[in-house]
Amino acid sequence: MTSHQDFCTQLREQLLANKDKVLLRVISAPHFDQPSEFAGATFLARAEELVSSLPLPKERSVILLLLPHSPELFLLQVALVLRGHVPAILAWPTSRIDADKYQRNLVHQLSNLPADLLVTLPRLLENLGGNLPYPAVSLTLKDGATYEKLFPAGQVSERLEHREFSGRNTRPSADTLFLQFSGGTTGAQKAIVVTASMMSRQFEQLRQALDFSAEDGVASWLPLYHDMGLIACYWMPLWHGAASLQMGANDWVMNPALLLKYVDRYRATFCWLPNFSFSYLGQRRELMQEEYRLDSVRAWINCSEPVRQKSMQQFAAAFADWGVRRESLQSSYAMAETVFAITQSPLGRELFSVPRSEVHHGAQSYSPLAFDLMDDVYVSSGRPLSDTKIKIVGVGGAARPDAFPGEIYVQTPSLFSGYWGSDGFLTHSLHEGWHATGDFGFVVRGELFVIGRFKDIVIVGGNNIFPEDVEAVVNTISGIYPGRVVAFGVEDTQYGTQSLAVVAEMKNDFNEDEAQRLDADIRKMVLTTMGVAPRHVAVVPQKWIVKSTAGKISRRETRERFLREKLGAA
Amino acid sequence: MKPDSDAIRNAAREAAQEITGRPLKDGQKLVSSGLIDSLSVLRLITLLEKKLHVLIPPETLQPEDFDDLDLIVETVERVAVPSR
Repeated sequence: MTSHQDFCTQLREQLLANKDKVLLRVISAPHFDQPSEFAGATFLARAEELVSSLPLPKERSVILLLLPHSPELFLLQVALVLRGHVPAILAWPTSRIDADKYQRNLVHQLSNLPADLLVTLPRLLENLGGNLPYPAVSLTLKDGATYEKLFPAGQVSERLEHREFSGRNTRPSADTLFLQFSGGTTGAQKAIVVTASMMSRQFEQLRQALDFSAEDGVASWLPLYHDMGLIACYWMPLWHGAASLQMGANDWVMNPALLLKYVDRYRATFCWLPNFSFSYLGQRRELMQEEYRLDSVRAWINCSEPVRQKSMQQFAAAFADWGVRRESLQSSYAMAETVFAITQSPLGRELFSVPRSEVHHGAQSYSPLAFDLMDDVYVSSGRPLSDTKIKIVGVGGAARPDAFPGEIYVQTPSLFSGYWGSDGFLTHSLHEGWHATGDFGFVVRGELFVIGRFKDIVIVGGNNIFPEDVEAVVNTISGIYPGRVVAFGVEDTQYGTQSLAVVAEMKNDFNEDEAQRLDADIRKMVLTTMGVAPRHVAVVPQKWIVKSTAGKISRRETRERFLREKLGAA
Repeated sequence: MKPDSDAIRNAAREAAQEITGRPLKDGQKLVSSGLIDSLSVLRLITLLEKKLHVLIPPETLQPEDFDDLDLIVETVERVAVPSR
């Protein structure tokens, strides 16, 4: 067991041992050629300065950080951990939201969380006013004005009834480092409690699996509210004294070649990306104006979405002449519940794959899958990390043999033991020491293949979207039949990811003009509250949504009807 | 040769319709309304580049620069260069 104090001492020592080495580079628009650089000593000094500038509670507290991609966000999260507080990073909105709707929704979301303090930008703080049940303070960023433009001045009119959190456990345990949100954007938002022991074990597991050392370097565009961005691309290199380069997600989406430019410039050796990024980069190759050397990269690791052979092949073919080797294409299965990685493919070897025809799908009486990968070839997500066990469980709880799919169960020293959310800190119960992941897969020759999931999550470009959250938001729109809304994922074959679809029944007699108005309202509302625009919206007459024989709305059957009738799928 | 504003406007209408499956009206917002998602912005740019035989260098651009027909025309006129 690593104590909080031991963990922080070790981190400080690592930073001081690298006092002159640049460990963190943060690139923010418009300074694409001038990253903010922090060597170990300046990292510590600037982090200390930032945390000292804030009026923090004296006792150990839960502190929410609602800040855009910036050097300050990177430094402050670590600084708060070193001070003994428990930070939790909230997703910063995309620059395309309806500010008023976003802020009103934010008041509701934040009021449901028993936090002790919110740190955000001055303008947002001013607008939220005294509407939160706990204090909030502002932090002025070097480039903050650009982000503050999102929020025109004006106090949010939302008034809430006073929330009472007494009777709930709102105090973090002694070994808690920080909280990591794993999804959910409405009142049901909850975070994984990440402890010092979980983190130190995960860093050691990753070091072994990747042969990771201080000589390595990571290049990333992944946001810090995503476990892949926070753990693999930021904390892990920092812990091992390696450098990381961080660019903003919005900047990457608009200019994916920038990441490759930084890989070349800083000779990065690791790059974690969700599956869609491999397709996206591959398809942009012919439009890239400059050439980059990418042969420094030891591993391009596909993670956080099902690994698709087509996406990997597209990427490999597009960038072979820039130095991308097939054996540098790797994969991993990860989740915030285990800090990050559970498996990792062996480095230096081409990805192992299995034809769909060799997998025994058979007649299992499973509850229907929320997502089922239909590829002809399945790609491995690698082998369990050290001290990690995986088992595939079939109907009735029996373990399944090789090539027989079932639910993925995991046991690892970096496994979480608690959540934090509207009910305070809660203990997570395991199934006889195993965590049931809700994912569907199989094992062949010791390697895990993830090919579906039971849990109702839509993964859009690596982001977990809970359909219930989308449905709850759309249900509030005037003119929509309350409770008659269904959200689900639709395959995006171009980028190898999913897109979001919403079907909603109209409250009154159907008419086309009203349907168009509601279509626009749904898109705007979902974008503003979830940060993701639905690609498909269908406003339909009453009784269009399919119910099961038990009278419950069936997402699966409604999705099938939508694909058949609205998208013309066979 | 750089395309004129009418050509850009027509190409933008066609591209938006290809992505959304519906005609784009004057003043109608594409990005801030949630009519197209962030991955589709790049798809829109790619279609504009092909239709207009230009390159649209993405440095310094944000999705909002493509939020409606007027903004698309202004953005393309400002940054596009003829393709090779």
